[in-house]
Amino acid sequence: MRKVTFLMAALILAWMAAACSETNPPTSNNGTNQSANSNETGSGSSGSGEEPVTLRMAWWGSEPRHNYTLEVIQRYEEANPHITIEPEYSGWDEYWQKLGPQAAANELPDIIQMDLSYIAQYGENNQLADLTPFLGKEIDTTNISDSVISGGMVGDQLFGFNLGVNALGFHYDAEKLESLGVAPLPEAWTWDDYYAKAKEVKDAGDVYFDTGMKADVFFNYFLRTKGASLYGADGISLGYEDDALFVEFFTPLVELVQYGAVPTPDVAAQFSNNLEMNPVVMGEGIGVWQWSNQFVGLQQVANRPMKIHPMPGPHAEQGLYLKPSMFFSISENSQQKEEAAKFINFFVNDIEANQLINGERGVPGSSVVKDALKPSLTEQQAQVFDYISWAEENSSPLGGPDPIGAGEVIALLDDLAEQMNFGVLSPEDAAQQFREEATKILSKNQ
Amino acid sequence: MKARAIRQHLTGYAFISPFIFGFLIFTLFPIAASLYLSFTDYNMFKAPAWIGLENFREMFTGDRKYWNSVKVTLIYVFAGVPLRLTFALIIAMMLNNASRAVGLYRTLYYIPSIIGGSVAVSIMWRNVFGNDGIVNLLLNFFGLESIRWFGDPMAALWMLILLSVWQFGSSMLIFLAGLKNIPQSYYEAASVDGANAVQKFFRITIPLLTPVILFNAIMQTVAAFMTFIPAFIISKGTGAPMDGTLLYSLYLFQHGFQFFNMGYASAMAWVMLIVVSILTALLFFTSKYWVHYETKEGR
Repeated sequence: MRKVTFLMAALILAWMAAACSETNPPTSNNGTNQSANSNETGSGSSGSGEEPVTLRMAWWGSEPRHNYTLEVIQRYEEANPHITIEPEYSGWDEYWQKLGPQAAANELPDIIQMDLSYIAQYGENNQLADLTPFLGKEIDTTNISDSVISGGMVGDQLFGFNLGVNALGFHYDAEKLESLGVAPLPEAWTWDDYYAKAKEVKDAGDVYFDTGMKADVFFNYFLRTKGASLYGADGISLGYEDDALFVEFFTPLVELVQYGAVPTPDVAAQFSNNLEMNPVVMGEGIGVWQWSNQFVGLQQVANRPMKIHPMPGPHAEQGLYLKPSMFFSISENSQQKEEAAKFINFFVNDIEANQLINGERGVPGSSVVKDALKPSLTEQQAQVFDYISWAEENSSPLGGPDPIGAGEVIALLDDLAEQMNFGVLSPEDAAQQFREEATKILSKNQ
Repeated sequence: MKARAIRQHLTGYAFISPFIFGFLIFTLFPIAASLYLSFTDYNMFKAPAWIGLENFREMFTGDRKYWNSVKVTLIYVFAGVPLRLTFALIIAMMLNNASRAVGLYRTLYYIPSIIGGSVAVSIMWRNVFGNDGIVNLLLNFFGLESIRWFGDPMAALWMLILLSVWQFGSSMLIFLAGLKNIPQSYYEAASVDGANAVQKFFRITIPLLTPVILFNAIMQTVAAFMTFIPAFIISKGTGAPMDGTLLYSLYLFQHGFQFFNMGYASAMAWVMLIVVSILTALLFFTSKYWVHYETKEGR
């Protein structure tokens, strides 16, 4: 009797051990032996009878982006019936909170939308695949210039494929401004013009002039107009010496919040991931400081004419830069790197796909795609293309990608900006805290 | 004889082996690993580098946000747990007295706890008290100004505490069971002696309920220290506004998974473990002064 129970217990144990080891999905053999079997009909353009492949793909964004991206995926799946793409999408903050644990668990999606602030962090920690071997093979680069591609270089490895070009600007509702009886924005304006305009708008109609500036992005722009930058070129320090610059940038912005021309952080948090709730869309604000690609989404949701205005000066051309809007990276742990690369190729080179994307991820890098899009662009979308070609002439080159730890520095600066905007921390104290703690974070890279 | 005894033991071990293995691999090993990692600089991708007590030094002397998160957590625990237990006890007393439809009410009151602590409830809470949430809409309907419930760090923290108080169901059920265990004859005897309801509550109910109170207090305190989901969801992972909802475990999560400072996060976890252990020990230690067991053996 006892022998039987002992045997049973042993069996249960063996069964459990077997169950544990079986949980690894048997995907590893897919990518390698596709050519070996040639059965089935498969009228798809990319070859016939391939084994089914599932790719996971993650991106951040807002509603309009989610919608058209899903459509692009659907198109790709129709053309390549053996491919299934599982989308994982969310807002910006949630995206990075989710990606970290996935990286730690070796569970990164095959295709990852990547940002300049994080590409070094993920790349140098061996989470991203070098895309160089795919260039000219899976990814057709005939019509894409080297300067566009090199945006995704970290050191001598290409960790992300540039999806488009971006530049900062002020996207606003000119008619709303006019209806308030406020004179149009001056063409080449200065920071002082901006502060005055914002207050004038607040006085005229009790509406917000803008929704605030993303601290790290616009502070970096401001520093560049002064010949400095947020991060030092060495990657282990801040790129500016004088804390007076910090004070000079943030003090007037805090004043605008206190004046009511810009929403307080808690109000801003309510619409941070929801374009439909944005004051500009609701007709309770004039404009948004943001990247040029975001103009397309704003325009779509607001559903009325918007305009793009350049950044305030002086020395705007020194501050302005063209930035790779975002990248598609392939994770190092992906078993399907070639297939993932083929999808990226479709995304950047296919004209029909780009008619869906419509420059929402930045002005496309492929000259052929750009030319093909131009005739079909609406007047509004054309503004983005025009703004980028204008910016090409009126900007200065961007340094490399943000250093490792940039994510933590950005969180720190957002934190301090929030405290300043709530009026509990003076810009002087914030400047000092920022230098102290950011230096601590960046010096870890030594 | 001896061989048989050994075989008997082996049978026993074989039966509990699934647990033993699980415990060793999924509990003991991670705990030991995190203890080691707490003395290292570790970003999860590169090999951990031993830095001795540096994480702890930074935590105690250099990190402003750390101390803020400690403060926020202590307020959350020491305001939230007593409120929650009081509330649970009041509802349990009411249910204990009601004779009809108790089952229905018990279920109804327990529902928030079943779904409690989960993502859905937190999202609901955020929406109900959002600037355009239903509470503000009601206020506006009655001609009152909207209140920015999550606008101020202290207010936002109290919203979190309120959410935890609202999820009193599990403590309430345990209280209810405890109340049912108090013999009715004590109350009858007290009534005969002329005791009123308040006297009966403080002289009979509370003393006889103290073992249950101790149990609930410990369970709820430990759980409160580890609260993560509501703060994470309501502040969208940032601890906003101004770190007002940056509970300890949320800050730990930020360091571990957002900033890749896994060594620092491990060190934080160990400090938390030690603090919670000390507090639990204190509760146990003081219990002999205020907890009454009915039988001597109960001690």
